[in-house]
Amino acid sequence: MRDFLELAVSATASGCVYALVALAYLVMTRPTGIINFAVGEWAAVAAFGGFLTLTHAEWPYAAGIAAVTAAMFAVGWATERLTVRPLVERGAPVLAPILALLGMLVVFRELISVGFGPDPRPLPQAFGFGRLEIGLVAGSYQSFFTIGVVLGLFALTWWFFERTLAGRAFEAVAIDRRAAALMGIDLSRVTALSFAGGAAIAGVAGLLVAPNTSAHYMMGLPLAVQGFTALVIGGVGRVEGALVGGLILAFAEQLTVRYAPVPPGLAMGVPLVLLILFLLVRPTGLLAAREARA
Amino acid sequence: MQHSSFARRARALVAAVLVAAAPAAFAQGSIRIGIITDRVGPAKPYAEPVTQGAEFAVRELNAKGGLLGRKVELLIEDDQGKPDVSATAARKLVDAGAAFILSLSLTPATQQAQTVSLETRVPHMTPSNSGDTLTTQISNPNFWQTGPLGSTQIATLLSYARSKNYKRVALVTDNSDLGQLINRFFKAGLEKSGIQIAAEEVVPRGATTAEPQMQKVRAANPDALFMTGVLTPENTLVLRAYRQLGLKAPILANYNLSVPQYTSVAKGLLDGVTFVDAFDPAKPEVRRFVEAYRKDTGSDPWNLHGYGYDGILLVADAIRRAGGTDRDKVREAMQATRNFVGVMGAQGSSYGFADGRRTGFDTNGMVVRVYERDVQGKVVHVGQK
Repeated sequence: MRDFLELAVSATASGCVYALVALAYLVMTRPTGIINFAVGEWAAVAAFGGFLTLTHAEWPYAAGIAAVTAAMFAVGWATERLTVRPLVERGAPVLAPILALLGMLVVFRELISVGFGPDPRPLPQAFGFGRLEIGLVAGSYQSFFTIGVVLGLFALTWWFFERTLAGRAFEAVAIDRRAAALMGIDLSRVTALSFAGGAAIAGVAGLLVAPNTSAHYMMGLPLAVQGFTALVIGGVGRVEGALVGGLILAFAEQLTVRYAPVPPGLAMGVPLVLLILFLLVRPTGLLAAREARA
Repeated sequence: MQHSSFARRARALVAAVLVAAAPAAFAQGSIRIGIITDRVGPAKPYAEPVTQGAEFAVRELNAKGGLLGRKVELLIEDDQGKPDVSATAARKLVDAGAAFILSLSLTPATQQAQTVSLETRVPHMTPSNSGDTLTTQISNPNFWQTGPLGSTQIATLLSYARSKNYKRVALVTDNSDLGQLINRFFKAGLEKSGIQIAAEEVVPRGATTAEPQMQKVRAANPDALFMTGVLTPENTLVLRAYRQLGLKAPILANYNLSVPQYTSVAKGLLDGVTFVDAFDPAKPEVRRFVEAYRKDTGSDPWNLHGYGYDGILLVADAIRRAGGTDRDKVREAMQATRNFVGVMGAQGSSYGFADGRRTGFDTNGMVVRVYERDVQGKVVHVGQK
């Protein structure tokens, strides 16, 4: 039982990171239909931002996190302005910005590689390295911190989409882009904001995971794949879907490694199997999108 | 403070003048040594410091008058760790007049570059690759390997494990090709030694935790834990989970844990970890090298810098004994190398290619060291005895 509860904390923390990357995808995909695989690289950029502010410059933790998240918001905004908008304005098919963003993935990774070199860089843990035990439930300080921050962010995102006018505008664009434009919603502003928000969310994911893994130039792609799988599992329709998808993926991964009687190498195939299963059986994910009301 | 700053600037100015004047001091054209490194691919974290060590060796050689009175010039090509690009890079270096090629990239890339040295007969060496098959798969008399073989590293660590009388051990690796290969070698060696594998776990590249794997290790209750992976972030996850879950079994790690970057990314997690290395800080040659490198670059070298440094000095030694860059004479001189004491290797060990072998690292030249807090500490075991 102790093992299982320990594992539950670890899987929840990992699932929260996957969920955050899935949310970054979702925030951009819902209103624009564009899947941006560069989210993993955004997480890596933020992780290196965290290295600069928290490790190198030794800023207070909250200040460093806030500064990097704000910078990532600007990076997302600039990425949309420079790579997506010119293509959309020229009437390019939806595949064009996806390919351009794949190109940006390489640009971000190489910029990190050139700027910081190949060595992994350390980031401090929010409350240092330690173990918190609450009865039988036990985990690292960083795991509990990650879970708390991610749940808070999901609550905030849900509130934004459900309770604010700007969020409703996003939802309207997601449901019917043309009708939303006819109602006076500024599509280009929504698109720019969705990329800026996506980059900020991906950045927080990078800042939460890097204290465990370190910041390194190859960290982006695995995060992008894990987040995408979580997105497929949960569905692109609802904010809650990203969270559910992330948690299912992480629990499936870690319970298989810990308890399934399979060779250690095969357990790594679990995310792939889940991805294929959901694409075949339930391509809309577990939580379906809200339909337009008549 | 100001005085020291002025003195530094003055020394830099004098050095610059000397460097500017240097070309005039060399009698003939330069001796070109080609390097194939990986600047952007998976071997970059290892290849870069090795390349820096080679560059330092060349600066040192030229400062002492060059080689046979000629300036030594490095031609550096990037193969991105890709075998196909590596062969092209080797061809380019041959065309540019390289008298010798050093491969510092991945083992498969070095293997592919050998097709060029085999055909063109340009002497070719890797001072850092550890793959056991580099000199056995292709019968190439123009190729040598002076990095410690993977099998030597494993045998050294296993020798240490035997001295501790471990009966049941766990293996934890990653899913990189090299990590898997090293794990297989370790597993075979352990089984051959009659040591039982109590658990075997893989932490995949990009994992966010190693806790499920380390929970299984904890449940297996091994006498020791062998870390056979080569990916620094994933190894750091293993160390973090090890401490987090309160494991007490001693950790024995492959040479990857000898890379000093662990002292920053795994700070606070390393105390007591033993690891295999080819760098003995107490060796006089190492102390001289560290001091000279620090003076030249302002930073301390790693063990990896020593591979590149030794590589250049071995090549220079062969060219010097050959009396020039004639390919056949250099090949004969390199093959005749004996008792060459470099930076790498335990005290008393040396490089040499006796009995027609083309692997030059002393099989008893590796050491086992232990981390004392976050510092790479003393040697606790030498060789395979």
